[in-house]
Amino acid sequence: MGFFDTLAQWLGVKKREVNVLVVGLDNSGKTTIINHFKPHDSKNHDIVPTVGFNVERFTSKALAFTAFDMSGQGRYRNLWEHYYRECHGVIFVIDSSDKLRMVVAKDELDLLLQHSDLKNRRIPILFFANKMDLRESVSSVKCSSLMGLDQIRDKPWHICASNAVTGEGLSEGVDWLTDQIKDLIESKKK
Amino acid sequence: MPAMDEQPLEANDKWLDAYNDRVASLYTFTQCMTLSDIQADGDYKLIIADLGTGSYDMKLKVYKNTNLMSEHTIIDLPTGVVTFYMDTLEPRTPAIAVASGPYIYVYKNLRPYFKFTLPPLDIHPVEQDLWDQAKMDQVNPLVMRETLENLRMEGSVLTVRSLRMLQLDASDLDPFVQVHKASALKRQTVITCLGTLKKSLADDDAISCLVLGTENKAIYILDPEAFTVLATMELPSVPVFLSVNGLFDVEYRIVTSCRNGCVYTLKRGASEGVVKHCIELKSQPVGMERINKNIYVGTMDQMLHCFTAKGKKLWTVKMPSTIMTLEAIDFKPKGFKAVAVALANRQVQLYKEKYLVDVIHTEDVVTGLRFGRFAREEGTMVMTTKSGSLFVKILKRSAKFEERDLAAGPPSAQNVKLNVPKKTKLFVDQTLRERENAVSMHRTFQRDLYLLRLNVAREYAKALDNSMNPISSDPTEPLKLSAQIQGIGPTFKLTVNLQNTSLTQASSNLFITFEFDDRLYSFRKKFIQVPMLVPGLNYIFDTFIDCQNDKGVSDNVKVFVLKQGKSVPLITGVISMPVAETVIMS
Ligand SMILES: Nc1nc2c(ncn2[C@@H]2O[C@H](COP(=O)(O)OP(=O)(O)O)[C@@H](O)[C@H]2O)c(=O)[nH]1
Ligand SMILES: [Mg+2]
Repeated sequence: MGFFDTLAQWLGVKKREVNVLVVGLDNSGKTTIINHFKPHDSKNHDIVPTVGFNVERFTSKALAFTAFDMSGQGRYRNLWEHYYRECHGVIFVIDSSDKLRMVVAKDELDLLLQHSDLKNRRIPILFFANKMDLRESVSSVKCSSLMGLDQIRDKPWHICASNAVTGEGLSEGVDWLTDQIKDLIESKKK
Repeated sequence: MPAMDEQPLEANDKWLDAYNDRVASLYTFTQCMTLSDIQADGDYKLIIADLGTGSYDMKLKVYKNTNLMSEHTIIDLPTGVVTFYMDTLEPRTPAIAVASGPYIYVYKNLRPYFKFTLPPLDIHPVEQDLWDQAKMDQVNPLVMRETLENLRMEGSVLTVRSLRMLQLDASDLDPFVQVHKASALKRQTVITCLGTLKKSLADDDAISCLVLGTENKAIYILDPEAFTVLATMELPSVPVFLSVNGLFDVEYRIVTSCRNGCVYTLKRGASEGVVKHCIELKSQPVGMERINKNIYVGTMDQMLHCFTAKGKKLWTVKMPSTIMTLEAIDFKPKGFKAVAVALANRQVQLYKEKYLVDVIHTEDVVTGLRFGRFAREEGTMVMTTKSGSLFVKILKRSAKFEERDLAAGPPSAQNVKLNVPKKTKLFVDQTLRERENAVSMHRTFQRDLYLLRLNVAREYAKALDNSMNPISSDPTEPLKLSAQIQGIGPTFKLTVNLQNTSLTQASSNLFITFEFDDRLYSFRKKFIQVPMLVPGLNYIFDTFIDCQNDKGVSDNVKVFVLKQGKSVPLITGVISMPVAETVIMS
């Protein structure tokens, strides 16, 4: 069963649809994470790192997931940015063992936060400090300071260390995101 | 010791600060650094041949991301590091070649794989003879030293062993000879620079030959599989930088800058020392790069030169400081090509052609500079410094390089295209019409212009005839008239100002009279005698006018200035009377 089942059920009752964006640099572990959200039978087993522009999408019940790599030199940027408008939550995956590119991930995060379609919305952002099992990885606290997450004032955010290969740490993050999205939808109705 | 000062550096909007290691303790140069996917996992490694202290502790260091993943000791000082594909095995892992002394050490999968030794050189027959005699103790070491010294003075190149012997004190000579006499005498040169040349295919992962420049003024091309010498080329001087392109089996070109301050171009088949072109620099080269077909050379006199492949000089730019090293930047995702110049003033300047497009400020003088793919990032600049630091910067995705010179030139606004509105259909139709009917339109215009001029002339003549204008046209009586109506009616006050505009001549015998509809208005004064008018002064005359009508009608009233004995007025003023307010009669 997928991680987002409680959210999916709740949405089913509310007759709502929710879009979640999964973003991060290539090789950060997005595809691997997304596979945990998919129902078991449709899971991809051999995952190759995503190169260039590759959008992965799947829908399960009332939930839609869209994942893409934020790498490359902006050639595909306008292609992915149009997903910003319709999203209800963002999962930002960081390879916590790639210290060299932490600054690139931060640059991408800053661009995302400044984007006109996200800037003034209180959408929740969940960070996975992924690959926590690797020896070179930095802690989620270090990761959050390298990424300057304390500077995010106008959006709820949360960071968890994860191992996408085993699934460790994913459910904690997903529970948080589920609550946030529920809150967001409830508050919009008022 | 590495510098530990953390002075804030000028923020750069084009580069992200990815990694700073101020205690990396690296002693290296551009030629001893390279970036390569040596494990075929898409995670490019940084390979550095570290000169250690300069006399010992030389190491081959490999960085994976920001971690030092492996170290190998090197026996002698390294002079160059390259990676190359030496086989067609899968996965495609390139080998590392390190030039050090007369050897090339080849590493595959980070393990020592092969050691290539430069072919021995001919030994001077007299020197050979001496050592052969020494072997059988047939020569006095002192005599031997003197003969060797004479050989050296004559300009012969001796073996390292003989040279060493020349440095010894007399008492040490015999033991030295005893130790060495049994082993074969060899003369060897050392490698000064290292490059690669694709063998028969141009693919990115095609098998490459090694190209080496040596201290004995030669260039060798090595076979990548058998490590045999495929070609030897001789040069007039010692090569220090190499730039190689083309294919060994087809056509290739080796550009080399030498210690004598000349740049030579060698082509395939140039084995007899056929030097195709020679560029004479005014100073020693400190770096050489090739971008497209042009060769960029930095020299010790702070100059950056650019030459065509044929050796024609295109331009020279003076750098603000001494050049430390050069590196070509070829950033394919943006099609950006430039040459990075590290300077002694702790700047790395980027030149696109001869224009300065960016300046990177660093904490320390950069001595080693490589741009390329590192880890999983394409636009990475790796810098090592004089004090041993390692800095890595990554080109921002949003970085834009201005096409113009940062140093001088017109403001960028000049290059901004104005938002000129599109041609409308109306505009196009009009243009067509004008083009088709040019002659008739011109004629119509000319006719209208003549009519306009005629009308103007007519009106002018009429005005002159009637003196219907407030300034007199009579040159003998230059007068200016103005008149105002005051009041709301039915009684108005008419004020007439008269001025003699001549400079010297007074006017006399003038009077003022009016023309009006007497059913409408009655003037209290119908005739005003004007005194002599002194030039320049303003004279005021007035009269009251009563409006006889309360129906809200008004009319024009004319003011005439007349001269005695002339029937035509000098000036006429026309006043349009306002409508009079009705009076509540008591
Ligand atoms: N050790 C480790 N490897 C991971 C983890 N998550 C992903 N990977 C590996 O990282 C590589 C890239 O993952 P992928 O999901 O394709 O990244 P994407 O490019 O963001 O979609 C794959 O080889 C994954 O097996 C993790 O938490 N730990
Ligand atoms: Mg992927």
